[in-house]
Amino acid sequence: MLLSIAVAASASQARADQNGIRTVLLPSPSIPLVTIRLVFQVGAADDEPGKEGIAALTAAMLGEGGTVQRTWSEVLDALYPMAADIHFYGDKDAYVFMGTVHRDNLDAFASLLAEQVLTPRFANDDFTRLRQDAIDTITKTLRGNDDEDLGKQALGTLLYPKHPYGYPTPGTVAGLKAITLDDVKGFYARTFTRDRLIVGVAGGYPEGFPDRYAARFSGLPLGGPRAPLPPSPKPQGKQLVFVQKSAHGDAISMGHAIDVTRGDDDFYPLAVAASYLGEHRTFNGVLMLNMRQKRGLNYGDYAYVENFIQDGWTTFPLPNIPRREQHFEIWLRPVPPKSAGFAIREAIYETDKLIREGIPAAGFEATRAFLLNYVNLWAQDGSRRLGFAIDGVLYGKDVLAELKARLPKMTKDDVDRAVRKHLSTANLSIAVVGDNVKALAEALVAGKPTPIVYDTKDTPADVLEEDQTIERYPLDVSASRLKIVSARSLFEK
Amino acid sequence: MTAQAKAFPFPTTEKTLSNGLRVFVVEYDSPGLVAYYSIVRTGSRNEVEPGKSGFAHFFEHMMFRGTKQYPTNKYNAEIKAMGADSNAFTSDDMTVYHILAGTSALPTIVTIEADRFQHLEYAEAEFQKEARAVLGEYNKGASDPLQPMVEALYDHAFQVHTYKHTTIGFLRDIEDMPNQFAYSRQFFDRYYRPDNVIVLVVGDVKSDTVLPLLEKNYGAWTGGPSRPAVPVEPPQTKEQRTTVPWKGDSLPMVLAGYHIPAFSPSSVDSAALEVLAELVFAERSPLYKRLVLDEQKVEHIDGSAERHVDPNLFTILARIKKDEDVPYVEKAIEDEFARIAAQGTDAKTLSEVVSRTRYAFAGQLSTADKVALVGAEFLALTGNLSSIDETFATLARVSVADIKRVAAQYFTPQNRTVVVLEPEK
Repeated sequence: MLLSIAVAASASQARADQNGIRTVLLPSPSIPLVTIRLVFQVGAADDEPGKEGIAALTAAMLGEGGTVQRTWSEVLDALYPMAADIHFYGDKDAYVFMGTVHRDNLDAFASLLAEQVLTPRFANDDFTRLRQDAIDTITKTLRGNDDEDLGKQALGTLLYPKHPYGYPTPGTVAGLKAITLDDVKGFYARTFTRDRLIVGVAGGYPEGFPDRYAARFSGLPLGGPRAPLPPSPKPQGKQLVFVQKSAHGDAISMGHAIDVTRGDDDFYPLAVAASYLGEHRTFNGVLMLNMRQKRGLNYGDYAYVENFIQDGWTTFPLPNIPRREQHFEIWLRPVPPKSAGFAIREAIYETDKLIREGIPAAGFEATRAFLLNYVNLWAQDGSRRLGFAIDGVLYGKDVLAELKARLPKMTKDDVDRAVRKHLSTANLSIAVVGDNVKALAEALVAGKPTPIVYDTKDTPADVLEEDQTIERYPLDVSASRLKIVSARSLFEK
Repeated sequence: MTAQAKAFPFPTTEKTLSNGLRVFVVEYDSPGLVAYYSIVRTGSRNEVEPGKSGFAHFFEHMMFRGTKQYPTNKYNAEIKAMGADSNAFTSDDMTVYHILAGTSALPTIVTIEADRFQHLEYAEAEFQKEARAVLGEYNKGASDPLQPMVEALYDHAFQVHTYKHTTIGFLRDIEDMPNQFAYSRQFFDRYYRPDNVIVLVVGDVKSDTVLPLLEKNYGAWTGGPSRPAVPVEPPQTKEQRTTVPWKGDSLPMVLAGYHIPAFSPSSVDSAALEVLAELVFAERSPLYKRLVLDEQKVEHIDGSAERHVDPNLFTILARIKKDEDVPYVEKAIEDEFARIAAQGTDAKTLSEVVSRTRYAFAGQLSTADKVALVGAEFLALTGNLSSIDETFATLARVSVADIKRVAAQYFTPQNRTVVVLEPEK
């Protein structure tokens, strides 16, 4: 049966072959590079209870483990002269295995990539190495080397309690320790199926290549419908987690779950609202202007209406990390501990202002104009364009095409209505990573003022006046909804 | 891809304006997009006065604080209206300002960029607030043990040269930045001058329309005072070694640096050191396979000969799974350099390294912005784009004897500085 899937992105072609394998193609004959993305709709959401991390570990066995035909060491030898590498990454609902190669080396590279996915070796030494790497990632790197990511992952535990989104994608320590090599083999057979696969090809590939290539995956079994996500509890009221560890500043993430993804109409006005509050790594958002530029609180302050991972050193979103459920998030980069309470209050104050008063007309027009051009920068090369086209298939809507089509017709009322419907600071979950967080937690619960501490002079009078409001801004935090935990206790099970 | 093909194959126009400003226009197939890079050939290497470490990077922040004609909010509104990706970065040797936007925005970009490079003006209160954003940037990086490790490596490896401090600077100097308003004006006066800046425009543009725009907007910019010399580092005579304690969890790590010469596109040593980095540390190298795959003592290892204006370091980083294996891993790295110094490598492996480096470089040039980024690095280091082709021509000439020679010459204990991260138990 031939299925046809409409994709809004210009020049991309998406379809499914007689085996049900979906393909997304972006031909650019003049470009000498070819990108392949093999996206499986498998992620941490598929982890089995007590085996948290099995999806990520299985993906690692495919992405940096050997094949039946060769050890991982031999794969590395084969890849080297092609000047290509196999990359893989994933999240809760998908993993992608990919690479970009000069078309001189396409056939050899494509074969190796297919081999990785179709005939994994499942060698004991790969398993030992990759499972230990995953445990170290949680116990050493996440807990001790990256407070900003730790804050985001701690927020995840509040947003998604008793839900497969509620722990880091690499898993938990207990989950990883419980996984055996046989578990991984079983998980692979059940979930890396051809009905969960999309084969994406972009660039200057020869005619007929994508069909020939997609056919190589026809030997994968069919898996049947994927289990739905368990219901997300959507906690009511504010809840906070304070993560205690040695730190120079306090890293802060806050947010709440929303019922909107790129597949929903309301996503697009919400994206305008988030961009107005704080587009990732840009300087024009309300949070950035008021917290960094006016007050010198920290390095950056941003807002999102979906899970966001930055693609490498760019400022743009990483494609192929779709989620079936999403959340609103505010990210405050580390602030001085003495002003952390103020920073939390200011982020809530600015968000409340947007919800209460709506987006200012001029702010709406400027943000709409910005996004109309800015989204053109999100997919500058074939690999990223392909990634977004595949996401378009997964969500049913291509975010780039949708924004370009919807923004010219969008109104300020559309944004205000979506903001009022979906965003609320009353139900925020807040995660703070820092040293001596106990005093801050107690001050916030007691409703005490948390003034900003300036060690700079000549702060303008209007800013100082607004500071008086912000330092007393009501938080309504109950002691029963507050946890203080040590970094070492997180993600143990 | 043939060895004779140009590594940087794009039509390029170069011009030096009468005030000394050099401009490069690279025509690249990126329909409707242009990357606009302003390259200041000043970085933390130029922070010669005591107490001023981190200042080039801090000054990069101040460049977004406006002029009379375009105060911060107006500048930001212009950037927002064009939907641009706009930012800047600073390294040891350069400060680079970049804007990626639609080609139709180019006249506005030239206007606002030329304006801020000539007429930057900010009040002390704004200066102080920005100083605290820089402290925030330091604090952001401080949860990564690499920040104190890199700081310790360069502090110990250099005695008089300004590479002694990192680009972000020493914390004590960052904390003092709000008090350096007067110095910041001097810094601008000294380094933000046409003979120290290069403008690079890459994308869907034609040089005959871009050059007049640049001449019109930058033509009145004038030269400034002379600039202080950067001290010359004497040769290191004995091994330097230190530990960095780490409060909290981490894998133990080793960061080592060996002194190597300044980058030069015609230097066989520069090219041979880049090849050596691949031979020793690439994922298919014997050392990587031994430590990471077979013995599984190391989670990550890499090494690189980064390009610098003055003599700098070949750096090596290893994240090690157990504390007790740190000396073993150090010895394994040392032994591998000694092995290559004695035995070299075979011609096929060398040829594969050169080929991979060429292909990988070609793969990097996949967007106007990436072409501009690569071009900016070479312009900052060498002052011209022809240095890219020259670098790859030199690479093609590297012989097995060159590899043996640089491995023996530079990778000696007395030329080495080692920093070991010691996580608390």
